[in-house]
Amino acid sequence: MKTLVKLEITRSLRNKKFMFFSVVYPSLLYLLIAGRDAGARIPGLAIDMKLYYMVAMAAFGAITAVLIGNSERIAKEREAGWVRQLRLTALPGRGYVTAKIASAATVSLPAILLVLLTGALVMGVRMAAWQWAAVALCSWAGSFVFAALGVAIGYLATGDAVRPITMLCYFGLSFTGGLWLPSFMLPDWVRNVGEWLPTHAYAALGQAVEAGHAPHLGDAALLLAYLVLFASAAAWLYRRDTRTA
Amino acid sequence: MKTTPTTAPAVEFTSAGKTYGTVRALDGLTVSLYPGETVALLGPNGAGKSTTLDLLLGLRTPDAGGQVRLFGTTPRQAVTDGRVGAMLQSGGLMEGVRVREIVSLACDLHPRGYPVEQVLETAGLTGIAERTVDKLSGGQEQRVRFALATAGDSDLLVLDEPTTGMDVTARRAFWSAMRAQAAQGRTVLFATHYLEEADKVADRVLVLHRGRLLADGSAAEIKAMAGVRRVGFTLDAVPDGVLEAQLRALPGVTGTELAGAVVRMRSSDADATVHALYALGLYPRDLEVTGLGLEQAFVTLTSRAEQQGAQAARPAGTDQHTEKKAATK
Repeated sequence: MKTLVKLEITRSLRNKKFMFFSVVYPSLLYLLIAGRDAGARIPGLAIDMKLYYMVAMAAFGAITAVLIGNSERIAKEREAGWVRQLRLTALPGRGYVTAKIASAATVSLPAILLVLLTGALVMGVRMAAWQWAAVALCSWAGSFVFAALGVAIGYLATGDAVRPITMLCYFGLSFTGGLWLPSFMLPDWVRNVGEWLPTHAYAALGQAVEAGHAPHLGDAALLLAYLVLFASAAAWLYRRDTRTA
Repeated sequence: MKTTPTTAPAVEFTSAGKTYGTVRALDGLTVSLYPGETVALLGPNGAGKSTTLDLLLGLRTPDAGGQVRLFGTTPRQAVTDGRVGAMLQSGGLMEGVRVREIVSLACDLHPRGYPVEQVLETAGLTGIAERTVDKLSGGQEQRVRFALATAGDSDLLVLDEPTTGMDVTARRAFWSAMRAQAAQGRTVLFATHYLEEADKVADRVLVLHRGRLLADGSAAEIKAMAGVRRVGFTLDAVPDGVLEAQLRALPGVTGTELAGAVVRMRSSDADATVHALYALGLYPRDLEVTGLGLEQAFVTLTSRAEQQGAQAARPAGTDQHTEKKAATK
């Protein structure tokens, strides 16, 4: 299983185009959105634009890397029959899911770090050392939830259906969860739904840290519940009795 | 049959069936394979070969009432224990990695994996070990799949259309590697479209047709089961209409082809045909009586079953012996 994890990571690193896109684009988006009014206070929030979007874009970038990367690649591998071939080895079902999450995490980490670096160097974000470390850690750990969702989608959908489903989850979760616009700017019902979404809890972890608090236990619990849900769905779909495995 | 029922079977299908929607892909298959056998699985497209292999490997589960056991356990357990190596037609390769990397992954995943270099060598991949798998030819890809199937010390090798995409030389090299595997006491089951491969390599042949086991025996037995021989000869002159009618009416003849003075016939009783031929007062030259190749035997058996199938749908779950009788009568 270690060999598979290593090989998946090597393969991700070799895919330079995908790496470049996934790593650089969240930082560019961060500059674009929060660059002008970096210090503007967002009413109703304890943090300003540059802080709010630093965590939001780190989250968005991580989701881009793990969700899109995983779902499409897995669907492709199922169609090509590689997953069938793997099922004929002693590799346990969780081995494949673990390897996929690990390789996704390899791509999401540099994306997160680059957003934080942009925050520190360009946007002038100043935080205590523990806050930097905690924001990075929360952003990275939270991305595992979406990596598992990516695996599940990759198993659920085939061929042409993968991209629309992934995009729907990707944009739907990002928007409704408040990664693009702070939640209070959204209609009430969207906000009510959004509070239960993993994206909202994901960004809330880092934003609590930025405000100088510990992450809320409720957010962490919600994310954990989603991780269990997505990972079990992925494992169940992997074992399903299907022609395309 | 070479089977020795005293040893425990390596593979055991018991009334294993599989239905997809309204299609009965496999209809109560009951058959056992024994350690050390090299078995060919033949059948026209849609006969149930892939379903049989899927059930055997635990990629699918048989319908209720049927069972598949490998080495006395479930297929999944046998796979986990590293007792099965498989080369699937539909088995894709991991993209973006090198040949050596994917083979070393297989060696590593196998509980009793061989050294990578040895597996690469056996599969003839040493020269292209550093190449990316996306950039291989069809035959090279097949060799990589073979390497994945033989990456460890398995007891059963399952190969689905293993030589597809290989040229003649590669195919020969493949079967000699395969024989070496069988010589080490492994059970080998392969599905193929190339009947001469089954004829040369297999010591037992299973013929599937419409999800049923139509015939089970050595290649020679299958040919005998088809029960047809070819009779060919040349006459002194081109036969006229009367003689032609007499030739066609010879006992046992099921088909006649005339090309000038050259006559080719198929006969279910070649002895009687030839005897009657001389009785006509003819002196046939270059007389040849030959058995059918496995390929013709296969075509004869399946088309015969096709006709019988059209007359009466047989009940599900018939075992192999009644199937065999049905095929030989």
